[in-house]
Amino acid sequence: MKFAILLHPSEIVAAVGDCGTCIQFTSYKKMVEINTTELTEDEAELYDRQIRLWGLDSQKRLRKSKILLVGIKGIGAEICKNIILAGVKSVTILDNGVVTDEDSCSQFLAPRDQIGKNRAEASLSRAQQLNPMVQVTADSEDVADKPDTFFGDFDVICATECPVEQLIRINQVCREKSIKFFCCDVFGMFGYTFTDLQIHEYAEEVTVHNIASIQDCEGPAKKIAKVDPVKVTTKRTATFVPLQDVLDVDWSSETYIKRLPKTDCSYFLMRVLLRFRSKCGHDPSPKKRQEDIKELCSIRNEVLAKLEVPVDKVPDELFSHVFAELSPACAIVGGVMAQEIIKAVSQKESPHNNMFFFNPTKNVGFVDCIGH
Amino acid sequence: MAASIAGVFEENLKSAVETAKVLVVGAGGIGCELLKNLVLSGFKDIEIIDLDTIDVSNLNRQFLFHKQHVGKSKAAVARESALTFNPNACIKAYHDSITSSEYGVSFFKRFALVMNALDNRAARNHVNRMCLAADVPLVESGTAGYDGQVELIKKGLTQCYECQPKAAQKTFPGCTIRNTPSEPIHCIVWAKHLFNQLFGEDDPDEDVSPDMADPEAAGGAGDALKVASNEKGNVERVSTRSWSQSCKYEPEKLFHKLFHDDIKYLLSMDNLWKKRRPPTPLLWGNLPDAVAGCSRNDIESVLKDQKNWSIAECAQIFADSCRNLKNQFESLKDDDHLVWDKDDKNAMDFVASCANIRAYIFGISQKTRFDVKSMAGNIIPAIATTNAIIAGVVVLHAFNILQNNLESCQTVYLRPKPTHRNQLIVPEKFLNPPNPKCYVCSPKPQVTLCVDVNSMTVKDLEEQVLKKTLNMVAPDVILDGKGTVIISSEEGETTENNLKKLEELGIVDGSVLKVDDFLQNYELSITIVQRLVPKDGPDFDVVADSSQLKPKEDKAESSGANGASDQDDDLLEVVEEQNPNFTTADSKKRKTAGETDDGISKKQKTKDVVLVVRGEI
Ligand SMILES: [Zn+2]
Repeated sequence: MKFAILLHPSEIVAAVGDCGTCIQFTSYKKMVEINTTELTEDEAELYDRQIRLWGLDSQKRLRKSKILLVGIKGIGAEICKNIILAGVKSVTILDNGVVTDEDSCSQFLAPRDQIGKNRAEASLSRAQQLNPMVQVTADSEDVADKPDTFFGDFDVICATECPVEQLIRINQVCREKSIKFFCCDVFGMFGYTFTDLQIHEYAEEVTVHNIASIQDCEGPAKKIAKVDPVKVTTKRTATFVPLQDVLDVDWSSETYIKRLPKTDCSYFLMRVLLRFRSKCGHDPSPKKRQEDIKELCSIRNEVLAKLEVPVDKVPDELFSHVFAELSPACAIVGGVMAQEIIKAVSQKESPHNNMFFFNPTKNVGFVDCIGH
Repeated sequence: MAASIAGVFEENLKSAVETAKVLVVGAGGIGCELLKNLVLSGFKDIEIIDLDTIDVSNLNRQFLFHKQHVGKSKAAVARESALTFNPNACIKAYHDSITSSEYGVSFFKRFALVMNALDNRAARNHVNRMCLAADVPLVESGTAGYDGQVELIKKGLTQCYECQPKAAQKTFPGCTIRNTPSEPIHCIVWAKHLFNQLFGEDDPDEDVSPDMADPEAAGGAGDALKVASNEKGNVERVSTRSWSQSCKYEPEKLFHKLFHDDIKYLLSMDNLWKKRRPPTPLLWGNLPDAVAGCSRNDIESVLKDQKNWSIAECAQIFADSCRNLKNQFESLKDDDHLVWDKDDKNAMDFVASCANIRAYIFGISQKTRFDVKSMAGNIIPAIATTNAIIAGVVVLHAFNILQNNLESCQTVYLRPKPTHRNQLIVPEKFLNPPNPKCYVCSPKPQVTLCVDVNSMTVKDLEEQVLKKTLNMVAPDVILDGKGTVIISSEEGETTENNLKKLEELGIVDGSVLKVDDFLQNYELSITIVQRLVPKDGPDFDVVADSSQLKPKEDKAESSGANGASDQDDDLLEVVEEQNPNFTTADSKKRKTAGETDDGISKKQKTKDVVLVVRGEI
């Protein structure tokens, strides 16, 4: 495949991709409206090291985005930290719970002397200190009491610590209002993330080796061609499914029964833990460790039987790793989630469609596409 | 804190975390995240050391620091902030260099575990040796952009940090820089050399004027050369520095010499331009003021850094920065000189404008000041999320180590995109065993030094070979068989040897030097191979595996422009796919080893990587 390239790859209009799909080569800037508000010198200085990674345009998109964070325990605190540092426009922290002793395992935004106080409000001051250029607000109401209209003010909603019924509801609202939806949780050392960007357009840089012509500046020009690896920005589209579809997967269907042997335990462990949360009204509690392990075993049996998946897919040993929210797991899963939010907002690079799991027994973090 | 709440951890982990004494080396991007995870997990006895102070460009990720902390000690502020997460932890902060002799083997032996969160290879090498000597497990980690890596180093069980040779600093042939640049980086290197020629340390290897000895120009160009040198008299023989001083650094004159006369001279070497686009000399009074590639340029951008400058603008910036640098330079004491610093406005303006003018002359695409800064300053981009993820993995490794579960501490990679097996956080399948020929951790470490014993001095041996290349701190050197003391780490004992050539002290082809670094508890045998210094080649080669000793091209090359790198975020040997200069024979292999599929066979291959550090004096 040969085609001439002008001096700047952004001027390329279209080309045919290798596998017959039409890839549009366009300028990233032209893809979505250009934000004319420029970064200040202060912002450029503060964000220097990340602008060198994701570019000025991504930074401009970040600073326009309004984010709602539902739940601010350990993983919530990590996501909150990462997106505030990245320089979004605003973060609203919504949590009606109170700071507990258990929070000290990973919730570093709420000071230790705030036990018993509202968790969102207790986290506000430290969250704000992370970056004075971001508007941070706390909301101590219950997400269940929030009307659907409340969510319309945000570009991104990321929910943690919610019962699955609430996740499904928020996801539904996000679909109606075209809001980017994320949810994730950490249980002990284990964690998952889910992403629903509905129909998401994004730019991806690919390296193409092409013949670049060189301008001649003087004299009877000899045109000298040289082969240049150039980075071109391609526009792509990804389609997502709602969380409900992920939960409705029929593991006895032909497609999924084939996938089952290769499927890690993590998805099923997540199902067991979300069921535990809905049924018991709390996450597995260190104080009732033995009791809750028993309960987890029985819920596992019930959930997996319903899914027609062998019970040994989620071995008992896993349950010793699911208590409290442990700081290293929050850092890992919260880091991955925040980076996905940044990617989605800046419409750059391929998002993880649609689940990410961290399995601490193997130190492995992987992406899985479930429910499509 | 996880460990202090009953029922969170299993019992053995709980007590191990509560009692273990741990050391964190570095309080930067990974260090801040690490310290947070450690105190929240319930570690109570932590020491942290960092020499650095806080800079504004750290604040987008080093979240224990805020604006009011700029200029303060990283270790001290990190300690204060982390204590607010867990007021019951005991954290000792050192604002110091880990390579200082105060932190000897006995210092390291006090810890159950050491975690590196460093940003440079020299310190990593040093801590590696200290942990080997003290036999303390070390968790090494690093990030670069979206990439990251965590690795356990345990004496006798795993590879050490120096088991595999690391890519050497990339250098460019002198004639590419001086005569025939073809990429923006060539112009940037040239501009940095020019800075040093005019205001910095005078290094004859950094000449910026046309190189008449270019082998490509030879033959046929002789007449042209003669004419040119006749026309110019002996201008070429005067150093750039004295010539500039004689014309008082007047920007217009400098410009005319650098971007007109020297270019004309290059044009006269017509063999060079038979297959190349010839350069275009520029005249000060007649400079294009159109901006190249302005379609890509953000016209309304207020950030000057991000704009492409026209050549007329470049010339103006060149002139302004020249004047300012001249004043800075002249205000220094006698022999003192400026040191190029990417964060110094004038120094950076000077390099950005000169590099762009030269690029224009040679028909090379131009770069914004922002991009020139990345390349000239060798800046590794860094973000909070990558550091957070990597620090999380480090602490999971720490948990395993404290439970004596070392077999679960395989090297883990963080990838920018999922692998073909959809993994984003990718563990290797097995631990990498030590390299039996490693010149650091093998039972009898040895290397071969190829050098001209008649030209290298004892001082060069100490500074360039032992300290700079082999990363020793305070080496003692004895000539084996004769027992002559060549270098003593005791101040003043061997000063009289400094200027002697190796040969004068009886060091000849086949000699063996016994080197002992007391601080690192590291003994090394160096076998000398006599070799004349090749033209445009390094002054010496250090070869780790002598069986591989045969003349061949050094394929290892690495990051960015020459000059110290600014990896203020804990770069390990990770491959930055976005940065073509990063791909090295070696790091590619390391990357393959990261893909777990057919681990072993690929990993075996990495074992025969030879060599190699090349040095220049
Ligand atoms: Zn080794």
